[in-house]
Amino acid sequence: MASVTIPNIGPRVALATTYEGDDPALLERIAPLVDAIEITPDTIARSDKKQSHLRSEVLNEYSSVGSGKRFMAHGVGLSICSADAWNDDYLGLLDELFSRLDVEWHSEHLAWTTFGGESTGTMFAPPRTEEALDLICERVARIQDRYKVPFLLEHVIQLLPEEAAQFTPAGFLNAITSRTGCGLIVDAYNLECDAHNQGLDIAAFLDELDLSVVRELHIAGGVQLNDFQLDIHSRPARNSTLHLALDIIARASNLRAVTYEFLKEAIAPLGHDAICSELVRARKAMKL
Amino acid sequence: MNSLKYRQEGLLSLIKGRRIDRSDPYLESVAQCRELAMLREIAVWWRKLHVGSQCRFTARLLKRLGIFDTLVSQYFNNNATSPYIEELSLGFLSSLGAHANAVVRAVSQFEWAFHKVRAGSGDRYEVCWDRHPAKFLCALAEDGELPALEDGVLYRMTVGGDIPGLFECVRESELDTVAS
Repeated sequence: MASVTIPNIGPRVALATTYEGDDPALLERIAPLVDAIEITPDTIARSDKKQSHLRSEVLNEYSSVGSGKRFMAHGVGLSICSADAWNDDYLGLLDELFSRLDVEWHSEHLAWTTFGGESTGTMFAPPRTEEALDLICERVARIQDRYKVPFLLEHVIQLLPEEAAQFTPAGFLNAITSRTGCGLIVDAYNLECDAHNQGLDIAAFLDELDLSVVRELHIAGGVQLNDFQLDIHSRPARNSTLHLALDIIARASNLRAVTYEFLKEAIAPLGHDAICSELVRARKAMKL
Repeated sequence: MNSLKYRQEGLLSLIKGRRIDRSDPYLESVAQCRELAMLREIAVWWRKLHVGSQCRFTARLLKRLGIFDTLVSQYFNNNATSPYIEELSLGFLSSLGAHANAVVRAVSQFEWAFHKVRAGSGDRYEVCWDRHPAKFLCALAEDGELPALEDGVLYRMTVGGDIPGLFECVRESELDTVAS
């Protein structure tokens, strides 16, 4: 591993991880290893008669970890970039979550996952156009009016060929954050996926991006399929991902958390031991 | 329709394998790219995972019959699938209600009714089987040999939240009918 200068960031940056419920043995093991827990409201919800609600048994699990643990909400289903309508139901889940737990900030993927109420089955990044920018900024403003904690957006990987854009990838994010005042999540692994699949110049991206608005950093490991690097978070983070994360930590002056993400479906193949080892490794590598 | 809506409607059609406006150069380029096939594969893979976790008996039966992947893919492509796992699963089970195979119909209807009851429905649901349902479901769960069709026999199962164990079953035989 190449030598990396680790910044003296002190205790201000929390280590966080995903927990989506139904595995109290895992929660018991990871809780002492992290400062904060990332909650994805959509994945702890149950839908019935076109309305979804958070599962109280999972909310009780979060409450059981005791004071001192911090919580962040990270949605997947708002579909903030859907041209017709976002998913109002998701906001109902957020309302429930905020009424039950102290959530420090909340975030969503900069993507659309539904059109006409129909699920696409995947996340599509929006085109980087003025039209999309206007739509996104208007919706971010509505979210900021509704919830008084910071709101962050996370870039998603781009798998399909892009059409003509009016902004660079970093320029589009800068335009959103400067217009709305919202924050960003940078996902180090997603950047590696875009570099592998689309030839993204990560260094140029980070040079252009306003890193002062980056509040959270995601690390993860994924899989390759048919030569594509996919954002299916099912593996330990690669050394290269941690190196990239360290570079971002050194430059993101307002960073508050580094989150190791893994899918609930990956818990069994990864195993509790590997997840815990990954958290210990991340804290040590990044001096969190 | 603004350009964003037009574009998203087109991309949704592409991932669902539906017709698009072939005169649009961008959509046409996406239709031809290998990344689209990859995205479709991932989208269907997730649906299979969700259906498999929510509809355990039906998924096991369809996998034994070698038609699980095809049916989930068809359901995803041809329906306005919900982003919610529960609704996706109920929709998929409903789609099997007219399947040619009587056992597929019975297992999917049973599982659909079971989901409804567990979600709090106060209704009762009837499912007809041409073989012993409890033995059939046990064999599915344990990867055992499936019980054979019983000629002239009908098992009338009732699923309801007010029934101990959530379902009960009555065996009716043509011979019983003749005798009576």
